Amino acid sequence: MDGCRSGVPTYEGDLHVVAAAHHIVKALGATKNLSDDLRKILIDLDSHLSMITSNIDSKGGRGLVDVEERLDQAERKIMRWETDPMMIWDSGPKEASDYLLAVDETGKLVDGLRGLSVHENRKQKEILHRAMNIFQTAMSRLEEELIHILVRHGQQFEPKNMYSRSIRKDIVYDESFVSVEDEPTKETSSQNCSNDESGECIVDLVHADVIPDIKSIAKVMFTSNYGPEFCEAFISVQKEALEQYFSFLGTENLSIEDVLKMEWTCLSSKMNKWTWSMKIIVRVYLASEKQLCDQVLGGLGSVSSYCFLEISKATILCLLNFGEAVAMGPHRPEKLLRLLDMYETLADLLRDIDTLFSEEAGSFIQLQFHELLERLGESAIAAFKAFRVAISSNGSLYPFAGGGVHPLNKYVMNYIRMFPEYWNTLNLLLKNQHPGVADQVTKPDYGPDTSLLTSCPMAYHLRSITSCLESNLHKKSQLYKDEALQHIFLMNNIHYLVQKVKGSELRLFFGDEWIRKHNAMFQQHAMNYERATWSSVVSFLKDNNPGSSSMSKSTFKERCKGFSIAFEEVYKTQTSWSIPDPQLREDLRISTSLKVVLAYRTFLGRNLAYTDDKCVKHTVEHVENSLLDLFGGSSRSLRNSRRW
Amino acid sequence: MPATDYQASFLGRISIRRNQVIAMDGNHEQELQDLELFSKHVSERFAELLSSPDDIPFHALLSISWLRKLLDFFLCCEAEFKGVLMMGNDPSQISKPPLDRLIPEFLDRSVKALDVCNAVTNGLESVRHYQKLAEIVVSALEQKPIGDGQSRRAKKALTSLMSAMNVDDKECSAAKATERSWSFSRRGVSSKDRVPEHFRSVSNQVAKNWSAAKQIQAMTNNLVPPRGAEGSGLASPVYTMSVIMVFVMWALVAAIPCQERNGLSAIHFPAPKQLNWAQSIIGLHEKIGEEWKKKEKKGTAGLLDEMQKMEKLGNILMDFTDSFQFHGDITDQKAEEAAARSAELAETCRRMEEGLLPLQIQIREVFHRIVKTRTELLNALDQVGKSSSPLL
Repeated sequence: MDGCRSGVPTYEGDLHVVAAAHHIVKALGATKNLSDDLRKILIDLDSHLSMITSNIDSKGGRGLVDVEERLDQAERKIMRWETDPMMIWDSGPKEASDYLLAVDETGKLVDGLRGLSVHENRKQKEILHRAMNIFQTAMSRLEEELIHILVRHGQQFEPKNMYSRSIRKDIVYDESFVSVEDEPTKETSSQNCSNDESGECIVDLVHADVIPDIKSIAKVMFTSNYGPEFCEAFISVQKEALEQYFSFLGTENLSIEDVLKMEWTCLSSKMNKWTWSMKIIVRVYLASEKQLCDQVLGGLGSVSSYCFLEISKATILCLLNFGEAVAMGPHRPEKLLRLLDMYETLADLLRDIDTLFSEEAGSFIQLQFHELLERLGESAIAAFKAFRVAISSNGSLYPFAGGGVHPLNKYVMNYIRMFPEYWNTLNLLLKNQHPGVADQVTKPDYGPDTSLLTSCPMAYHLRSITSCLESNLHKKSQLYKDEALQHIFLMNNIHYLVQKVKGSELRLFFGDEWIRKHNAMFQQHAMNYERATWSSVVSFLKDNNPGSSSMSKSTFKERCKGFSIAFEEVYKTQTSWSIPDPQLREDLRISTSLKVVLAYRTFLGRNLAYTDDKCVKHTVEHVENSLLDLFGGSSRSLRNSRRW
Repeated sequence: MPATDYQASFLGRISIRRNQVIAMDGNHEQELQDLELFSKHVSERFAELLSSPDDIPFHALLSISWLRKLLDFFLCCEAEFKGVLMMGNDPSQISKPPLDRLIPEFLDRSVKALDVCNAVTNGLESVRHYQKLAEIVVSALEQKPIGDGQSRRAKKALTSLMSAMNVDDKECSAAKATERSWSFSRRGVSSKDRVPEHFRSVSNQVAKNWSAAKQIQAMTNNLVPPRGAEGSGLASPVYTMSVIMVFVMWALVAAIPCQERNGLSAIHFPAPKQLNWAQSIIGLHEKIGEEWKKKEKKGTAGLLDEMQKMEKLGNILMDFTDSFQFHGDITDQKAEEAAARSAELAETCRRMEEGLLPLQIQIREVFHRIVKTRTELLNALDQVGKSSSPLL
């Protein structure tokens, strides 16, 4: 393009040069096998040279005067906008293209005059300076126009339209681990960004209609050696737009010190927000920014990637720093899932990052991303370990009232129920982590049905966690003085454990054998409970010498009384016990009923002769109904009962 | 690439270090020697920094290459410090007095240093912006013959450059950053080349109301030289390393544009002169402090040698473009002078182009190293804590 600018010959010698050049160009143009590009260049050149020669021909060496006229014309076109309050590109395409033509003309004149300035003709020098002055005014103006266009046609987009925050079907636990003993865990459902949005969505950060305008400004500024000015203006506007968008997403800059001091609930929501913002910023905003840079500056070598890097660097570093701060923080167990979210998001975005910052200058950013990913991975493992430690060290001073499902159990099971969602990541991270010598029990010796899932690293660790939990629950059960209640507690808790496993994807990782084994376990505790509670009660109803037909009345009376007292005692205590699961409660009542009611009925039936006696305090029906009151969670007494 | 040079030398030092540590074998006398060696290396390194000749611009105090050397030394000292603290000693020592108090304080300082690193990284983005503007000035003045047009182009870039460099720390830190507009308000504009106002971007902030000066001031909290018997034990390297860390951060903040630096010169290091290693640091502190006081009143973007040159040359060239516009033309002598200045500015830009990114990468490396040491120390404390009170 520069080469085509028509010079302004003023001297004889130059005229000869022009004529010679013209001749050569014509000769070259006649060649047959020319590429289209080359042919076009020659045609352009030909016309420029013709113009010069015709000027000379018609005006006879009055080239300078002609140049001055051309400059006057261009100057009028350029300077008239300096007093116009309107922006050129706002005034219409005709105005814009006229302006660009005038700029182009001035540029050509500057180049032409400069090429000849060795002759130190005073007049010529004066014209050159004037032309350059006008040219500077135009360039300065173009810079302003560029900024104006970018600002005016910059488009905000709603993050919600871009990335639906789809609801992850699970329940998210945000409470801190320490709160376990204090209160039952609330199940809070929260929105979470799912990972399945893989399609890139690119938006127009600047209205598509004005891209050609920006390109035309870029073209003229770069050809005129004003590329740096273009870049500075472009970068500042776009950088600011990104920052505005960044704060629009609700992300604020936080110092590392602030992050480390932050309360868990606040940190958790910030971590969530980070995950979300990171995705939008990288996959939507930066991808779009990259496209814009390429659209506008493509074909200018590394300029596009330079501008992109300058625009995005500060914001990226800001996001990375939050990640670093989080990864540095204390590795509390409740952080695990949020950390995994962050890790997965980053891992997921790595490829985008590597593409966006593929040039050498961007390798710094690439490297920071990879480092942060590693750090988040380490941090997640540390939180995972802390989770296990927290489970085994969670101590209680007092038995958990009623023998129901312990909050620790609830917390842990609801928490690990989330793990299958992070299956791949956890497997990757836990691959080299050994659950520890103490956990040999967790090795699956489950025979041939061991599937792939039950033997993956995560499965080992899951079983290791539940076995930690189980031993802690055993420890907690020792706090009950009543052996029967110990069994109720363990039955409840193991039943809960199994239910949680069976009712979620966890079952795939624990395997059928584990479930069978634990089913058997809580059933065993149910049986142990029955034995511990009812054996002594039912023993009153046993016939000591089955050979004889009936016992003596006094023995009967004694037995009846003993049974009543024992039964009332059990009733009083065990109505306050609790079996939260209705099915389990029902099953236990039925099996107790079968044992006790049947024995009682047989006992009374065998001693029909005495049954009218007042010593029979409870009818079979009374006993049967009373059994329904057990495990309701509130203590009752048979003496005050209506049925009495 | 300088980064690899540095790495090679650094790894070399580390491996020597390891051998020493292994050979030491817990011997108390060796341990003392070890501590001595550490402070000897520290004083050697900082003496080298202090004696940097001012007349060779490449090595001048607070030049980019000087700062890189400073950071290089910081990394070396840090590695040796960790060696002394963790490799050669009974790990349980760090949980016993006085270290049980000094280590957490040190870690607290480390976290503060991280924020300073980030602030400085942000500041380097501004420096890079100055460089780009200066490059425009150079490219405008490079063209021959120099005319009104180029002079205006140069002046425009110079105006942006000078106003960007003179932006008051305080002003740009928080309030202004939020409300910005690109409107040039075309009506009634008199100047032919409007210069867009320079704004400091939001992302250049560490956090709202964050102050580099306060941060460094806070790093000096509880920073007192070990006294009596403590002086011969591990308390002394912890103290030494703390002073180094505070000094390095302080020097970076003085050199590079940073959020809120009011009161930077008032920060004192409680480093007693009788300690051998401390002398050079005190010397450097005084030297830089003097410079800072001189500049503080005028308001400065930072003491970075290249930036000071840029400011000086910028002023000269600004005068040149002014006189150009006033007279319409200039004498050959003036043109030559301007060309020389412009060439100097070009050289400064070249040095920035070469050095700024490596410096930024190095600061990031310092950042990661501090994080790593912090993690290792926390783990060690955790380990000691566990073994002393086993879980039930």
